Amino acid sequence: MSSRLWRYILLRFILTIPMLLILVSLVFFVLRVLPGDPALAILREGASEEQLASFRAAVGLDRPLPVQYVDLVTSLMRFDFGTSMTRRIPVVDEIKTFFPATVELTLFSMLVTGSVGVLGGAFAAQHRKSPADYGIRVASIILYSLPIFWLGLMFQMVFGAQLGWLPVSGRLSPGMTPTETITGLYTLDAILRKDWALLGDALRHLVLPSLTLGLVLAGIFTRLTRANMLDVLEQDFITAGRARGLRERVLVYRHGLRNAFIPIATLLGLQFALLLAGAILTETTFSWSGMGRLIVDRIYDRDFTTIQGSILFFALLVASASLVVDVVYGFLDPRIRY
Amino acid sequence: MAVTTPEALRTQTAAVLDKVGFLRRFLRARIWHGAEWYITVLGGAILVTVAGVTVLAPVLAPHDPNEFIGAQFTVPGGGRQALLARNGEVPIAGDADLAGVVIGVQRNRNGANLAKRLGAEGVRFEDQQALVGGLKAGEVDLILIDESVGQELAAADSQLELVATGLGLRFVLGTDNLGRDITSRLIWGARTVLGVALSSALLASSFGIPLGLLSGFVAGRLDKVLSLTMDSIYSFPGFLLAIAMATMLGPGVINVAIAISVIYIPTFFRVVRGQVLSIKEQLYVEAARSLGARATDILIRYIFPNVIPSVVVVFSLNIADAILTEAGLSFIGLGLPPDVPDWGYDLSKGHQFLIAGYWWMITFPGVLISLVAAGFSLLGEGLSEMLNPRLSET
Amino acid sequence: MSPVTPGELLLQVCNLNVSYKTRTGPVSAVSDVSLDIYRGEILGLVGESGCGKSTLGRALMRMLPRSARIEGQILFHGREVLGFDDRQLRELRGRGISMIFQDPMTSLNPVQRIGDHLTEAVQVHESDGGKADLRQRIGTLVERLGIMRQRLSDYPHQLSGGMRQRVMIGLGVVLSPDLIIADEATTSLDVIVAAKLLDQLREIREEFGVTIILITHNIAQVAELADRVAVMYAGRIAEVGSVYDVFDGPQHPYTQGLLRSVPSIKLEDREELYKMPGEPPNLLSPPAGCRFHPRCPEAMSICSRIAPGLLPTMPGRLVNCWLYQEHSEKDGPAARTTARGAA
Repeated sequence: MSSRLWRYILLRFILTIPMLLILVSLVFFVLRVLPGDPALAILREGASEEQLASFRAAVGLDRPLPVQYVDLVTSLMRFDFGTSMTRRIPVVDEIKTFFPATVELTLFSMLVTGSVGVLGGAFAAQHRKSPADYGIRVASIILYSLPIFWLGLMFQMVFGAQLGWLPVSGRLSPGMTPTETITGLYTLDAILRKDWALLGDALRHLVLPSLTLGLVLAGIFTRLTRANMLDVLEQDFITAGRARGLRERVLVYRHGLRNAFIPIATLLGLQFALLLAGAILTETTFSWSGMGRLIVDRIYDRDFTTIQGSILFFALLVASASLVVDVVYGFLDPRIRY
Repeated sequence: MAVTTPEALRTQTAAVLDKVGFLRRFLRARIWHGAEWYITVLGGAILVTVAGVTVLAPVLAPHDPNEFIGAQFTVPGGGRQALLARNGEVPIAGDADLAGVVIGVQRNRNGANLAKRLGAEGVRFEDQQALVGGLKAGEVDLILIDESVGQELAAADSQLELVATGLGLRFVLGTDNLGRDITSRLIWGARTVLGVALSSALLASSFGIPLGLLSGFVAGRLDKVLSLTMDSIYSFPGFLLAIAMATMLGPGVINVAIAISVIYIPTFFRVVRGQVLSIKEQLYVEAARSLGARATDILIRYIFPNVIPSVVVVFSLNIADAILTEAGLSFIGLGLPPDVPDWGYDLSKGHQFLIAGYWWMITFPGVLISLVAAGFSLLGEGLSEMLNPRLSET
Repeated sequence: MSPVTPGELLLQVCNLNVSYKTRTGPVSAVSDVSLDIYRGEILGLVGESGCGKSTLGRALMRMLPRSARIEGQILFHGREVLGFDDRQLRELRGRGISMIFQDPMTSLNPVQRIGDHLTEAVQVHESDGGKADLRQRIGTLVERLGIMRQRLSDYPHQLSGGMRQRVMIGLGVVLSPDLIIADEATTSLDVIVAAKLLDQLREIREEFGVTIILITHNIAQVAELADRVAVMYAGRIAEVGSVYDVFDGPQHPYTQGLLRSVPSIKLEDREELYKMPGEPPNLLSPPAGCRFHPRCPEAMSICSRIAPGLLPTMPGRLVNCWLYQEHSEKDGPAARTTARGAA
């Protein structure tokens, strides 16, 4: 690996730190500074003075803001996300329980988004200004305009309630819960343990949620792919290739896509934030026990520390994803590597 | 009145159109831009319709959105009641006054109201079975019952006879779990949804645009810091941020608008900053500077007008997204107080009762949300294509 | 030196018309062009920007955008190119006729290695042949062009501008085509690199016997390299002939004006640069008759009404001007009106 690449990676790594700091500060601001009295905001009126006081003590609100900030940052560096107020276990453990479900959902959704988006976008770009192109563009706008949870509800209604083909909630059918998990990703675990019944059940439960999240995001992704592909296809080397007798299909899908792939791959990585955001609603709709569900449930429970810890965890995720995407980009683009 | 030939009429119309500058440009754009024009106009049409509905809500909505006006879970198109009597014992003739007559009604306000309006005295029964039973048993002389059910019963049971149909209110889109008219809720909900979305877009732009202008124009360290900040916020899951803010700020329309607006400040910032940077590089700006133009002049006269098209596009897309975000927040239960009619809230209620088979509670609000969001998106996308055309084969 | 030795007729263009469909109407980019191209010659195609020379070049390979309408005849080895189906077109491109483009940086795929560019071009046209043989062949070719064999595994951005252009030439000759069209191949290069390129083109013609069409607005290059020259104006051919004949004694008024506008190093102190009056026409609604007549100092009344034809004045010399042709409606040479009054 060339030194250029090393330098690039190092630079990106260093840039992640201020980014992370900004995000943590943002979360800190929103959760502790903005509401004036976070205790009141969380517990609402009707809470007694003792409740408010014990809340403040537990969360550390009685200390001056700078101290709170430093505490937060230092505990984050130790990967200490606090202790849940309702369940009295470290938030890290909660995260460990719920995060794999979100990962699984996100991965499968990315699969849907990627395939639909890339193929649709490339096709639309190739047949520019044709009815198919306009059809795909309008369809992708409509897809993205559907509320995620509504699409999920529709799927539940049609495929679950009326047709009865697919399960509408949860990750597994009752009675299929695995006794011990390796990764937490039921599909992966099932493969590792060669438990095909488990795999089948997990996959069946994954279909509707990942289709929901994946299709809505495919709406945006198709647009982006198309735009990138159009840019690439307009370039001279495509014309030059055509002048050498290369087929249209080869030009679009091999040369065009390979060039567009680099910005598209980065886009897919940046979509990560959208995926996480969408996962919250998807998990709520499908009773999927992932991080999104965790946050929503704990909001109802007024479990401030878990909420705070989960959001900070998301911030960490996003910063890392950004770094990973940049590094992968460095590997993919020969202009950076050499 | 002079008789005019078709030719003369045509020239006259053309002359009039010529004067109406905007209209002419509008129609000309269709020939120039082709399909994009249709997309944009479609989006614009949806927008105008929804805006109209929003403004005319008090006039258009048949009922108060919060009033428990009908039976719970009335099917779309249902609500109408029929009068049933025992066969041969019809106590009244035609539409005559029912004063003094005792009518059996179901436990809902629609029936009770109707009975009152007819001038009769209402006796409440627990459910439909009890209601019919009461009629047959002679406890009451007439009952008010759902039209379709009443017609079925009258046809099937020789003991019963239809006296009148088509009484009471019809609910075009049905009612929800509390008997509220869905049509009215949707119409009034438009105000809430659009209001929140528009406010959040205005808030976001009022922060994002100046910051973007400043950052792009001044550049240097300020630009680096601001860009990094905005990029970081941008990369954070927006919805999560909105949830956090909505939770900490508490319920309320303004709070929701604020919560949503924060997500879009980076978008305005980036787009404006990008535009400023590219315009700054243009030769005509350099020429102006070499002639001694002041920075503020350049900003106002050269940069700002060129930034506006992109801003309009982002604004439109922002509103589309804000509509969806707001619906999402309501769906989770955050944000708006329950007495404010809102499409997202209706969806969340509808979710609960979906299993029971009441499909109309989620279908109609969902369609509307999608339609309005799609409308703004189409408008934004179409404008974007028309204002920033790609250089290519015509 | 004698004029071009007429070899066998390689490409024949007959009454070619190309128009683009634009939002404001059809634009006539090439109008009634007929041209013969002989094997082994270098033909220079010159004209101002927008005169249609690039369009003409691309039309020969059917490389025009979808909005273009082509009419007429293009006979390559006697076969009608305009009637080719997809497969035949792909055969033609690269193998029968190849093109060298203007900007070598953007004309190469940034994520594809140089060697792969070349091997792919060959593999598309020749399905048989071992990989090792192929690599050997490509290696020999690039070395002949002055590129080291090791560079084949590099990416385009790692090469210098001149080397990239040599790769472009390599791509143009790797399949041993009969005709190479160099479309403004030197326009984006600096003078020294451009000169080297022209030298290489000359070498290729000497060694391989390839026919070359040099499309450029740089008259000097044409004078240096080409055997024959065709001057284009507003989509039509004004004059064709050997380079010596045309440049020593230009017959068409446009060619005369063109040559006069070239600044000479011997410019006297108080002499102004010659500037042709008027501007190139709007091809949406080109002038009636001869398209040059609004700017022509020798315009006659017939010039604004009827277009002349590209007819020979001498063997091998064609001019598209009423000054050298007869027509029943034409006034005598004594009665002439200048351009300035002509509507």
